[in-house]
Amino acid sequence: MAWSFALPFLLLFLVFMAVPIATALVTSFTDLRVTDIRNPLSVNFVGLENYLAVLGDARFQKAAANTAVFVLVGVPLTMALGLAVAVGLNQQIVRFRTFFRVGFYLPVVTSIVAIAVVWRLLLGTEVGLINGTLASFGIDGPGWLSDERYALWSIIAMAAWRNLGFLMVIFLAGLQTISGDLYEAAEMDGANPWQRFKGITLPLMRPTLLFGAVITGIGYVQVFEEVYVMTEGGPLNSTLSLALYAYDQFSFGNYGYTAAIAFILFLAIALLTTIQFRLFRTAT
Amino acid sequence: MTSGRSTGAVIAALAMMFALTACGRAEEDGVGSASSVASQAPEVDTGAASGEITVWAMGAEGENLQVLADAFMADNPDVTVEVTPVPFDAAHDRIVSAIAGGEGPDVTQIGTTWMGEFAKLGGFDPTPSNIDPSLFFEGAWDTTVVDGTSYSVPWYVETRLVYYRTDLAEEGGVTEPPATWDQLKALAEGIQGAGAEFGISLQPGGTGSWQTYMPFFWQAGGEIMDAEGNFTLDGEPCVAALTYYDSFFEDGLTAPAAGDVPIEGQFANGDVGSFISGPWMIGIVTDAGADPATWTVAHQPTEEAGTSFVGGSNLGVLADSDNKEAAWAFIEYLSQPDVQVTWYETVKDLPSVQSAWDDEALSGDPLLTAFGDQLTDAKAPPAIATWEEVAAEIDAVIEQVTVGDLSPEDGCAAMQEAASGIGAG
Repeated sequence: MAWSFALPFLLLFLVFMAVPIATALVTSFTDLRVTDIRNPLSVNFVGLENYLAVLGDARFQKAAANTAVFVLVGVPLTMALGLAVAVGLNQQIVRFRTFFRVGFYLPVVTSIVAIAVVWRLLLGTEVGLINGTLASFGIDGPGWLSDERYALWSIIAMAAWRNLGFLMVIFLAGLQTISGDLYEAAEMDGANPWQRFKGITLPLMRPTLLFGAVITGIGYVQVFEEVYVMTEGGPLNSTLSLALYAYDQFSFGNYGYTAAIAFILFLAIALLTTIQFRLFRTAT
Repeated sequence: MTSGRSTGAVIAALAMMFALTACGRAEEDGVGSASSVASQAPEVDTGAASGEITVWAMGAEGENLQVLADAFMADNPDVTVEVTPVPFDAAHDRIVSAIAGGEGPDVTQIGTTWMGEFAKLGGFDPTPSNIDPSLFFEGAWDTTVVDGTSYSVPWYVETRLVYYRTDLAEEGGVTEPPATWDQLKALAEGIQGAGAEFGISLQPGGTGSWQTYMPFFWQAGGEIMDAEGNFTLDGEPCVAALTYYDSFFEDGLTAPAAGDVPIEGQFANGDVGSFISGPWMIGIVTDAGADPATWTVAHQPTEEAGTSFVGGSNLGVLADSDNKEAAWAFIEYLSQPDVQVTWYETVKDLPSVQSAWDDEALSGDPLLTAFGDQLTDAKAPPAIATWEEVAAEIDAVIEQVTVGDLSPEDGCAAMQEAASGIGAG
């Protein structure tokens, strides 16, 4: 009886998740290419060759380094901004609260293509709003997206702006579970706002922060759309991400190689999530 | 943020999930014979064509091909042609899926650089002998030939010429079209001296920059592959071509990074005095407001050769088509000189059939005549399955040399090493 209730999920999971994942795992140990797809069984098993080739590829190393910077800077930045906005909007005195909430959440539900168009107008070298403003002060602005020193940071800024709205909503929900009595008691004891934030808000928000860190971390390790529409990984691979690297290899038809990248990416996500759980583990 | 695409491999590999017992490749055939004449299949009896065929075409071609299909059906009342427009971005993957699944159109438009991969997939019918190769531009016909067999027919072509502002050039003391590398350099310097921000616009790497670089490589006497099918991307021609290409960046004659203002506007207002591109820019430059009296196009400069790049699209019949007679009959029809001229008048695609160029519609236009001249000396990259990947490596090296600080010598070695590592597929 119990199994019949579980069956619809199990079937869908098997057909659309387990089987493809297992297939990809097998593929990652073969030399399957696009030219084999009429006859996919006639490929050779190559053992760990794909994995070794991926790890030894300079472009993969560059993509891994870029992705690491993106995650290590982007996740704390997005969380800090999301928390700041949530705490701000949680004050009783804020007017137009709904207006601000919608404003911060809007980027989350907006198509990345529309966002890319707007940010290109902002960050453009010759006709960008930022450089135009700088120029009126006599400053010659850099190529925010066309200079390899700035491109990754521009993308991180855009990603943080785009995703902070999601964390804001989660954090707002978390903040509202904290009883007002605690703050009142702390205030009576003479705790200033920073002490109240550090002593009450942060510890009680720990599970919510963990959730935010894990969700954002998983998303950021797989960062794709932002770089795909803004820079296509350039200039000089300075914004090439692991997912974009995998996408490029897939479009070249190197399916076995791409599957190996996908599994390395999967391991990276598992590792990152484990570390996050350790970091946020409730102190006992 | 989330990526469904990296897991796309998962889906592609679904097909090979079951029974992975009998693995291992059959012996590969040797890489194609070096014979200059491509082999073709026996003649197909296209006279008695009947039934229904489906045709895939992309972009403007897809939107307008029904015009020719209607004319064809008027001549061949027994045949029904159904045209399905396919977006250009999605076309490559859809054709791969069609070949893999055996469910696809009878005829499809094919980007010239995809030919090697599709032929290797076994997806296309060899061209029958009713199609005469000598009717087409040689460079265009070569794009249909994979390992010595032709698998499609050139439909329309494009090649790259030097667009330049004659008024700015004259101000800078240049009155003749650039015939050599030194003169092209002098042209850019003259135009810049006459007040343009940049004398020329060359791509600083990025997707497709190989199409601008490769003509210089051919002009220096280079060849992408030797007769045995080994890459020959490095050596003296490469160093000469990359050094020359990079010199425009070193001397500040072209923008150091990809700009965000379209070239046609900069060309029309005189900020940029020249660039290298294909025939579609004639209309775009005119629409941007450039006075036709102030600019023209010139043949590629000549060193050891004056070769340009030839691109465009071919038409092929899928191996799984169940109506090959009608399919080849339609392609035969599209290859007739007068139909090619009609097609030029419909969507401005340049004819791949040489005799179509005698028509007044083309021969009466001096800009087009220049493209026609260049087409007799234009080459395409070899039709190999891995070309797109090799091209991406070349693009990357061009960026490292022009924007980064890689030397041309090291760049050539890097190109050769990357291409050899990828192989011909």
